[in-house]
Amino acid sequence: MQEKSGAYIILPVYNEARIINRVIEEITQAGYHRIIAVNDGSSDDTFSLLNQHELIVLRHLINRGKGAAIKTGVEAAKTFGAKVVVTMDADGQHNPQDIEKMLQAVQNGYDVALGSRPKSPKTMPLTKIVANCVGNIVTWLIFGLWVSDSQSGFRVYSQKAINLIDTASDRYEYESEVIKEIKRHKLKFIEIPIEERYTDYSKNKTHKQNFINGLKTAIKLILSA
Amino acid sequence: MLKLNLYQIILGATALFFLATALIKFFSGRRTQTFFKLLSAIVIWGSILIFSLFPNLNHNISRMFGLGENLNTLIFIGFVAVFVMIFKIINIIERIEKNISEIVRKEALGHLEDKKTTPHDLPQL
Repeated sequence: MQEKSGAYIILPVYNEARIINRVIEEITQAGYHRIIAVNDGSSDDTFSLLNQHELIVLRHLINRGKGAAIKTGVEAAKTFGAKVVVTMDADGQHNPQDIEKMLQAVQNGYDVALGSRPKSPKTMPLTKIVANCVGNIVTWLIFGLWVSDSQSGFRVYSQKAINLIDTASDRYEYESEVIKEIKRHKLKFIEIPIEERYTDYSKNKTHKQNFINGLKTAIKLILSA
Repeated sequence: MLKLNLYQIILGATALFFLATALIKFFSGRRTQTFFKLLSAIVIWGSILIFSLFPNLNHNISRMFGLGENLNTLIFIGFVAVFVMIFKIINIIERIEKNISEIVRKEALGHLEDKKTTPHDLPQL
């Protein structure tokens, strides 16, 4: 298949053996073949499943968190001279068809395109909507930049952005730290509506951002301010 | 002659035991006993030892800081010490966490060179 763009897709993967094959197939079917998967210390078959695909697989020997895995993926993409980097979740929540419009925004001169999930009770669980609002407010209060979805992991970065953004967070607070970096480096950003697919699988995952993890994230953000 | 109550003897003996253990561990060169840990032990157990042997010291400190009761002074100092320790511990944990992530990342990226030599692993630009 013809490569759609020079974009590198970074997938932080942790215990996604049940769904990872489908996620990778969807991405490649959408026309993106430069995939860097960072297996973040999974204890299931994720790593061996990833190796069955034609993609770059990196492995964290122990679990270090989503932020740490993305950073490893970005570092790898830099060594390949990536012009554009896409980060997305590996649990099938993000639709690879949305990558194109986000890439378009970056090609039109934006440094960062932030995926923004619809905040409707029809498409997003109510607890998620509340958690998202709290996350946005905490991010705004601490970092001074308002975005409608500070916790979305679906983002596209230009080469300039990946060279400037320097994060230290390992876990879920990574997403908010990127917002801080956008403000610090005065990067041009745009929020683009994306589809969010909440499946039984994604809703029942134990290691996802839940209320307690959300609280921990908020505390870490406050302490890091 | 110093007249001691039972609680003073128990507290003093406990503090002495932990102080002696910390000092022995440090001077016998145990790797787990760092200078910072020794210093913390001296400050914490040393304070307990002094306050248990000389409880009237509280009066002087209370007067010096303008605080009323002895107990208030102790609680106040205790809270300050606990908060300082918590923040210190958080900083140490954060630093260790970052170091672990860096090591794990370097290890993961170390295998990237092998992958670059495999044609199908390196998509052509």
